[in-house]
Amino acid sequence: MLLETKGLTKRFGGLVAVKDFDIQVAEGEIVGLIGPNGAGKSTVFNLITGVFPVTSGRVLFDGRDITGKQPEQVARLGIGRTFQLNPLFHEFTVLENVTSSFELHPHSSLFDIFFNTRKYRRNEAFIAERAHEILHVVGLERVADELAKNLPHGHQKMLGVARALATRPRLLLLDEPLSGMNPSEIDTSLEAIRSMRDHGITILIVEHNMQILRLCDRVVVISFGQKICEGSPAEVRANEEVISAYFGADYVC
Amino acid sequence: MSDMTEIDTTDIRLVPESAVGQEVAQTKSRRWPGLSVLGGLVLVLALLPLGISGSYYMHVLILTFFYVVIASSWRVVSISGQFNIAIGAFMGIGAYAAAIPSVWLHWSPWVTIPLGAVAATIVGALLAYPFARLRTIYYAMGTLFLGYVVINLITAGGKTTGMSTGLGGVEPLFSDRTYYYYLAFGLMLVSLACMYRLEFSRIGVRMKAIAQSHQVAASVGIGERRNRILAVAFGSFFAGLMGAVYCHYQGVASPNSYGLGATLWIIMYVLVGGINSFWGPAVGVGMLLVIPEFFFRDLKGNLPYVTAAILLIIAFTMPEGIVGLLKAITDRVSRRFRRGEVSGDAP
Ligand SMILES: Nc1ncnc2c1ncn2[C@@H]1O[C@H](COP(=O)(O)OP(=O)(O)OP(=O)(O)O)[C@@H](O)[C@H]1O
Ligand SMILES: [Mg+2]
Repeated sequence: MLLETKGLTKRFGGLVAVKDFDIQVAEGEIVGLIGPNGAGKSTVFNLITGVFPVTSGRVLFDGRDITGKQPEQVARLGIGRTFQLNPLFHEFTVLENVTSSFELHPHSSLFDIFFNTRKYRRNEAFIAERAHEILHVVGLERVADELAKNLPHGHQKMLGVARALATRPRLLLLDEPLSGMNPSEIDTSLEAIRSMRDHGITILIVEHNMQILRLCDRVVVISFGQKICEGSPAEVRANEEVISAYFGADYVC
Repeated sequence: MSDMTEIDTTDIRLVPESAVGQEVAQTKSRRWPGLSVLGGLVLVLALLPLGISGSYYMHVLILTFFYVVIASSWRVVSISGQFNIAIGAFMGIGAYAAAIPSVWLHWSPWVTIPLGAVAATIVGALLAYPFARLRTIYYAMGTLFLGYVVINLITAGGKTTGMSTGLGGVEPLFSDRTYYYYLAFGLMLVSLACMYRLEFSRIGVRMKAIAQSHQVAASVGIGERRNRILAVAFGSFFAGLMGAVYCHYQGVASPNSYGLGATLWIIMYVLVGGINSFWGPAVGVGMLLVIPEFFFRDLKGNLPYVTAAILLIIAFTMPEGIVGLLKAITDRVSRRFRRGEVSGDAP
């Protein structure tokens, strides 16, 4: 398993946002994490990436216990992510958003950077080149020099994905990448997500838009912080508990 | 949207290299006027002691060089999102770390000055560690109190620090003021070059990234704490260095020079000049220190009121400071110029 959580629990004061949550993601999979508003999906992401300390439970990445690591350490280990809100460096240009996210590969030491050594210049040239490639893939090449805050919402979302891709993650956590996008942007994004998987990136995705089910190999459903069901997209669609979690018990009867 | 729907993963290796090259050439040509102004200014300042007579004017210029470095060092820390209300205290740490061994152990200034810079750096880095947990107003308040603590420790230091009257008899470096002029001028050029390098390299990008969003930064591997400590250590080095040189120049280290008053002036220089541009602090020092000293000396008694008024005017009319205003003007002029060149091309 590339990612595995065991008994993940998070308490905010009296509120148990995530309770005894287990999820497994195998290398090369696209796994969907769905559930109603406030179910605890974003909290799961924040626990995996170390933004919040866990109350109890463990997170394993590639067999290694990463519980309690700082977010930047988690990023270094190969977990990239996007954020549901505030996905960007707003005062940077689109291009700078991507290049500044190239922290991990290749790495220049402080000495190299400050003294502008040949290695640093080579790394920076490589980064500039790769950043343009990534912008090309997500279709933002034309607005590379715009300030990120001036982009329309859908483009900002795509840029968030581009930024995460720049870290060259093995596992990518996407938090509602399709929200606020128009239909054509949604198509583009679905296509982009599929092509990331084809490039060997494993993906765990939170989404309310059910079109995402087309992409997923497996889906995990969470409600009130607990896993209520797991299976193929077709199985999950047919599951009564899922339907009632989404629409209330009355709807089923 | 048409190019968004085509995702061609086969040719993602194709990079518009020509576009990259163009960009570089463009920024280069745009830099020329700025560079020649800068070069001219450096030349004038380098030759000035040959023409200037009164040692008072020399003194004002030496002070200016000091404060350009200190205000710039405050700003370089601020790009990481940290507004340090204890910059004066860091000058003080540098000054006393140099003055105490100079007065009591008769160490050479060439040893005590680096010592002052290193002491301020180490204290800065050590304090930055716990302070890296604080943000916004909490950070400002924390450093404000830190400034008081440092001054209180200095005045409580008994004979060693000279208490509130200060520590006199710090050995001078030179007997001739002209040498100080060139020392301060040279230190200013080197310091600004270091800061420029830091800000416009990947280190500066990291600092600006954590200032915008520490969460997003962490998600791409940019650690908040490490970069904030680095920023403070770097800035404190220059504040400490200038504090140390200054006390050797004055022959005295006095706690009054490093309190909240000094800090507020330094921040004023930055805000008036323009906090978002590298040259803002230098311009701010020029406006608030040089111009009143040279041209309106009668005004000096009322300076705090005048400065408060200037700050208000700046906040209302040019929130990016004087440099921001100049930039907006030159941008508009050059846009008009370019539009004239390629008339018909743009609407
Ligand atoms: N930092 C926090 N402090 C306190 N409570 C929080 C915090 N973050 C989330 N919560 C609470 O935890 C619960 C789960 O929130 P979470 O954001 O994980 O839900 P979600 O499934 O992502 O919902 P949505 O679909 O609306 O994004 C909610 O009740 C929320 O109010
Ligand atoms: Mg959420």
